[in-house]
Amino acid sequence: MINIEIDGKLVETERGSTVMDAAHKAGVYIPHFCYHKKLSIAANCRMCLVEVEKAPKPLPACATPAAEGMKVHTHSELAIKAQKGVMEFLLINHPLDCPICDQGGECQLQDIAVGYGGGASRYTEEKRMVNPKQIGELISTLEMSRCIQCTRCVRFGQEIAGQMELGMANRSEHAEIMSFVDSAVDSELSGNMIDLCPVGALTSKPFRYTARSWELSRRKSVSPHDGLGANLALHVKENKVARVVPVENEAVNECWISDKDRFSYEGLNSPERLTKPMIRQDNKWIEVDWAVALEYVANGLRQIAGSAGAEYIAALATPHSTFEELYLLQKLMRGIGSGNVDFRLRQSDFSSDGKLTGAPWLGMPVSEINACDRFLIVGSFLRKDHPLLAQRIRQAVKAGGEANVVHAGDDDLLMKVANKAIVAPADMVNQLAQILKALIEDQGAPSTQSSVLNPQSLPALQGIEITDTALSIAKSLAAGERAAVLLGNFAQQHPQAGQLAWLAEQIAGLCSAKFGFLGEAANSTGGYLAGAVPFAATVQGMNAAQMLENPRKAYLLLNAEVELDMHNPQLAIAAMRKADMVVAMSAFKHQAMDYADVLLPIAPFTETSGTFVNAEGRAQSFKGAVKPLGDARPAWKVLRVLGNLLDVAGFDYNTSEAVRDECLSQGALADRLDNHMDDVELQGIQPGPLLQGGEAQPGKFQRVTDVPIYFADALVRRAASLQQTNDAAPPVAMLHGDELQKLGLQSGDLACVTQGGISVQLTVKIDGKLPRGVVRVPAGHPATSGLGAMFGELTVERA
Amino acid sequence: MEKIKEFFKTFLLVELLKGMALTGRYMFARKITVQFPEEKTPQGFRFRGLHAQRRYANGEERCIGCKLCEAVCPALAIKIEVAEREDGTRRTTQYDIDLTKCIFCGFCEESCPVDAIVETRIFEYHGEKRGDLYYTKPMLLAVGDKHEAQIAKDRASDAKYR
Repeated sequence: MINIEIDGKLVETERGSTVMDAAHKAGVYIPHFCYHKKLSIAANCRMCLVEVEKAPKPLPACATPAAEGMKVHTHSELAIKAQKGVMEFLLINHPLDCPICDQGGECQLQDIAVGYGGGASRYTEEKRMVNPKQIGELISTLEMSRCIQCTRCVRFGQEIAGQMELGMANRSEHAEIMSFVDSAVDSELSGNMIDLCPVGALTSKPFRYTARSWELSRRKSVSPHDGLGANLALHVKENKVARVVPVENEAVNECWISDKDRFSYEGLNSPERLTKPMIRQDNKWIEVDWAVALEYVANGLRQIAGSAGAEYIAALATPHSTFEELYLLQKLMRGIGSGNVDFRLRQSDFSSDGKLTGAPWLGMPVSEINACDRFLIVGSFLRKDHPLLAQRIRQAVKAGGEANVVHAGDDDLLMKVANKAIVAPADMVNQLAQILKALIEDQGAPSTQSSVLNPQSLPALQGIEITDTALSIAKSLAAGERAAVLLGNFAQQHPQAGQLAWLAEQIAGLCSAKFGFLGEAANSTGGYLAGAVPFAATVQGMNAAQMLENPRKAYLLLNAEVELDMHNPQLAIAAMRKADMVVAMSAFKHQAMDYADVLLPIAPFTETSGTFVNAEGRAQSFKGAVKPLGDARPAWKVLRVLGNLLDVAGFDYNTSEAVRDECLSQGALADRLDNHMDDVELQGIQPGPLLQGGEAQPGKFQRVTDVPIYFADALVRRAASLQQTNDAAPPVAMLHGDELQKLGLQSGDLACVTQGGISVQLTVKIDGKLPRGVVRVPAGHPATSGLGAMFGELTVERA
Repeated sequence: MEKIKEFFKTFLLVELLKGMALTGRYMFARKITVQFPEEKTPQGFRFRGLHAQRRYANGEERCIGCKLCEAVCPALAIKIEVAEREDGTRRTTQYDIDLTKCIFCGFCEESCPVDAIVETRIFEYHGEKRGDLYYTKPMLLAVGDKHEAQIAKDRASDAKYR
């Protein structure tokens, strides 16, 4: 620690920190544009010039290391003169028409110009003009002439997003920010550049010219999308969410949010919003009152429970539902005597049910990811599924960590990956077993090494041959001091998810690593804690897959669009069609119009109070920011009334907080999180069936399914601007080039993809990084919703 | 002594005669009553009357929808909605002034960066219903179009004092 004096205030600051850091500590504000605490130092705007005693000239505070005994004056005559001079230079080329600019009112340059700018411009020559570039549907560069070349956006791309999509071309007056020739900014974090831009050069395209900053009221909320639970500020104008910006929370989302969190608000007022309760009568939808609709639902459920039995009623919820909704749904179901409730809609292997000792979670606080030095990421489309967790891992890898990947697809993670095993889904268990075996052999007798290792499973490892990749992954993990083994969405949806998780736990145990699940959605951990799983209470029932395999007579759907949100949409639709009564509680009209009997309009996250328990087990509550649209009502109120109508005890809540407190009072949250599983048996550690002998049946493939980032949940599917990005392109079937050649197809051809007797036509594309024997077909899109299970077998033929 | 003076004053009706003298003076003085509407009082070029929206000489409306007038209006009389026009500029889709709320402070005119919203010399407007005094964008533009010559002249007279 060193002592430095800023404006007469003595501050103690760390060795190696800058004058800017010290000033921040002392609470002294130094004007700046290019400096940002999360980005590298560029010192090119020169706005932060300060006077340092004994230095001949003013020095930039952001790039001057603090030294012992340094005396800094930020408001001395010299400093102010320097800052005013810089301001005048910056305004030479900056247009002085703030009233036209979309950034007006929230512009750093405007604010600082009030303090340091002159009353009038002395510059009478021509100003610089920069032609706008088309860089995608999210960021507008129409006002590129306003750029002051602070290069924050460029540094963000390089350092945080991991890919340099914007750069500064040319020099001095001709310097301009542009993307590479004809390419858009595709990063899933690109929206943060809008926040970073201190002027109005990069602005939000969907928000452009819809409101001025002073008209917006700011309300805090939490992202309903991925498992991170990013903190959001909803900017509300006239009972509408006009835009979404991040709220800084160093422990969760730092100061970033993903584009999915930022732009999904456009779906909130989509024309597809359901605003009136509706009942199907004589195959026509009629709008009814809430009282009629709820009475209808209650009567229907009572009848089915009476005639067929309560176990013929099933409930499916998405993990994007709030904690309170999930809790009340399972309480309602168990109240009427059915344990058929599940929120793990895309999961297919439920073998770990009942063996779990707690709710699966990240295994560590989110902020600890940055401190890890070794990663094993199993089955995750990391960047698209968890944009901000990927960013944290990227920072850790940059700081000297090593990332290892076991997965069925090889998308660019935009970080250095030390070892990767890209294998067919059927081989993933084998791959993990190899790593485990390599670790055991590396460390000697397992009995002494680890108590977590189940010796009974060891014989299963005997026939395993360790490949070089597995060995190097094992070595990499063993060499680390703080390793982490993380299971992604793909691994959790995998048909052998239980075994993958068990093996991952053993691997983590052997190299004293943290073992965690990357939560798919906002409440993937919360759902377990809310008890919205069939094994959570004494009244037990069927899991999501069983409910479809053994069709039930009544289905309650909470936010779920079964044709897009389920592991096997084909089976789901069939089960819905067979049911006597399907009650769809949804914020949107969707395909349920075909199979449901009652549509109940419920409020999305902005219109209801609720809680999301994120992957690290942090319960984050939020309040409704706007009034529900039309007759929509918060789902927890709908469920409460349903509970009352069905005479279920304990449904007299006045607030959602009362629901939350009741559920959370069952024990400290942290104690209820545990990834450990008892007695999982290892089976099937052989090469996958399709790969045996290296030759599969011609035209038959195993499906590898990703859920594209902008098709993952109901809200984001309706966000207009996100749907125009490259990430939301219509689904294509991707195969290895050799496989395509065998089929006699070329990249770009139309192929007929058949699964479970239903064919769809998809364009085929070459992905040379995919393993052979698999075809990658995304889920969550209407074009592929006719197909079957996410990991099923399908055939590809020439169309 | 004082008492005697008072007694004679009341007795001789001095106050009455003084008052009559004043009345008599005014009877023959020059009349200043303005016979409105045949006659009108003179107005300054900074007179703040009915609002108008102006256009440029080429017919393009001046207003850029920056909403500064809406923000500054102390009576919350202005309501603006904006949208991007086809040519990419921000334009108002709604610009309403509720004249029953307006206190004619002139802040809107003061804050306008493009001299789009102005207050004219017109003060003898009326409405038969309350809603008639809710001026919308076409009404304001019509006022501007009709009186542009006078408006421009007044701005020019005021310019040298700014």
